[in-house]
Amino acid sequence: MSEMVLKTEKLDKVFKLGGRQVRALSDVNLQVKKGDFISIMGPSGSGKTTLLNMLGCLDKPTYGKVILDGVDVTKVPEKRLFKTRKYKVGFIFQTFNLMPYLNAVENVELPMDGTKKSGDEKRKRARELLKVVGLSEREEHKPHRLSAGEQQRVAIARALANNPAIVLADEPTGNLDSKTGYEIVRLLGKLSTDQGTTIIMVTHDSHMASCAGRMLFLSDGRLLAKERQGTHLMKDALKCPNCGKDTQPDDKYCPGCGKKL
Amino acid sequence: MVVALGFSMAIMISIPSGIMSNQTATQRLTENYNELITNMQEEINATLTLIECSPSSGFAFGPMPGGSESGSYLDESIVSYIESIQGVKDVVPLLEKSEGTSQTMERFGRTFTFLRPDYTIIGVPLNSSLIDNYSILPTNITEGRNLREGDSEVVLLSLNNTEYFGVEVGDTVNILGSDFTVVGVHGASGFREGMMLYMNISDAQKITDLEGKISRLDVYAEDQSYVDGIASTIESNYPELSATTASERLSQFQNMQAMSQNTLQNAEATISQTQTTAFQEIVIAVAATSLIVLFTMLYTVRERTKEIGILKAIGFSNWNVMSQFMFEGILLSLMAGVVGIAIGIVGAPVLSSLLLPHISMFGTQRGPGSFQGYTNPEAAGSQVATAALDPQLMLLAFGVAALLGALGSLYPAWRASRTSPMEALKYE
Repeated sequence: MSEMVLKTEKLDKVFKLGGRQVRALSDVNLQVKKGDFISIMGPSGSGKTTLLNMLGCLDKPTYGKVILDGVDVTKVPEKRLFKTRKYKVGFIFQTFNLMPYLNAVENVELPMDGTKKSGDEKRKRARELLKVVGLSEREEHKPHRLSAGEQQRVAIARALANNPAIVLADEPTGNLDSKTGYEIVRLLGKLSTDQGTTIIMVTHDSHMASCAGRMLFLSDGRLLAKERQGTHLMKDALKCPNCGKDTQPDDKYCPGCGKKL
Repeated sequence: MVVALGFSMAIMISIPSGIMSNQTATQRLTENYNELITNMQEEINATLTLIECSPSSGFAFGPMPGGSESGSYLDESIVSYIESIQGVKDVVPLLEKSEGTSQTMERFGRTFTFLRPDYTIIGVPLNSSLIDNYSILPTNITEGRNLREGDSEVVLLSLNNTEYFGVEVGDTVNILGSDFTVVGVHGASGFREGMMLYMNISDAQKITDLEGKISRLDVYAEDQSYVDGIASTIESNYPELSATTASERLSQFQNMQAMSQNTLQNAEATISQTQTTAFQEIVIAVAATSLIVLFTMLYTVRERTKEIGILKAIGFSNWNVMSQFMFEGILLSLMAGVVGIAIGIVGAPVLSSLLLPHISMFGTQRGPGSFQGYTNPEAAGSQVATAALDPQLMLLAFGVAALLGALGSLYPAWRASRTSPMEALKYE
């Protein structure tokens, strides 16, 4: 039994919109184990992003607890919350949100600013992470010289910089074509299986969602009782469908048979 | 943006430098006036009872050599007559004779003959009742001693004279065929006073072959009220004498005093007006600078809302964000400071003359020659024009730049730090 990294208890969020109360989340109970790759699906306005903001300590629930790595973060005062965000959470955004004036490796180093790591240590870690996401050749490139998929990989590396307890991905494939999107999801899956990274991905794309180990459904702020085991085909997906040989996430052609993946 | 900031910085730098130079100019002017007035006052007070009598036929610069000589000297007997006029306290007969080479000069188609003096003999009656009470002998003895009662066959030379004759104190010097012992040297310089050597009047008469002759008289009245009466008595009895009283000099002095006070008042009024204007302008410039920084930084913060959101989402603290923007604001200001100093170096005189009222102390007022000499309007005027930047002021400018940068970016940086990451991330 793996340890529990994230747990929510009776999470409620009520927004006030023009004097009207809107219940964005209602009684959300979620349990996430270390190394889980969870996708949360739901139509627009179902509260996906709101839930992610709660989990990422960007917003506070109206009611309920968010226990992240054993700590109820809803009770952490605002002034100290930045530390939780820095060390416990990694964010991946739909629009990548890299700093345009920093190159790839500097973008990955950014979350390590203000940590105890020395400049050399930061650089070493950033290079390792870029290698993990398959961008070793692109370290010095600024975002505008990278493709959309490459930018998202840099963003993934950045999210992993401080080795967070959870990685939250908000529509990470939303700005990518389906093939690139699939590569990104495969990469996330690989991180989950190979490195034990806990990933929660919000998406409305059922194909992408089905790649995760667990699929959760959110509707009108409620987590639906039905929970599907994702196809979690990562291991299989990393094998060439033609010859069955192992492939790397950034491989475009199978190293075994040479067929296009 | 930086250039606009630079301009307001330049204004802030130029104005104080302009004020400083204006103040320096005025201060110098005041000092000069005060010195002038003190000197004049002393001179006039010392000579209030003095009537200067000299032959009216002679030119101002003394008897001409050659034929006109006989007419230029007075008979010594005149002394006892003038002494008998009511109210006269003392009469000091003096013999002045310049020795040198005669030169001719062609000017305006005419030939002028003038004496280029090597030295001027001043014969003085060495009578303690006179030389102790009146300023007849020079006072600034630099070597040896002054002349005193009963001195004979001795001479007091100027520094210039000692060089001309090649002698020093204690030596014997031959003047017009007679030997004299040098007893002292006086420190007077200048074209006229620097040429003067002093001796007993009887010695002077002897060596210049002017026995019983004198060249002018200093008449001292009992008090100031007799001066005009004595002068008119002398002039009516001796038409060949011209008597000059202190009253002309006094009225001249009073005019000048009034005028200088007036000028100084003008200058002071201008300075205080300048300072008021400068203060207003500096306040405006400071306000403009802070506002430019404020709006620039507000714009920057707005422009980079999304970036702030990302930074906060990946774990930057409020303080990290705030200090980042403060740093940028100060950097912007310092860059503007560099530009401002550059503009200031080139444009300070122009800017300060554009922005500050001029000191109009040399306008229509023109004093007599000596007055101009003292004030030297060109020198003071150029002082006003070259409002120079000194390094201290530049250092101060950098400090002010940093301060204004910090001040102007305080609110924008605070706003940036308080941005909600959730809201900021939605911002496009």
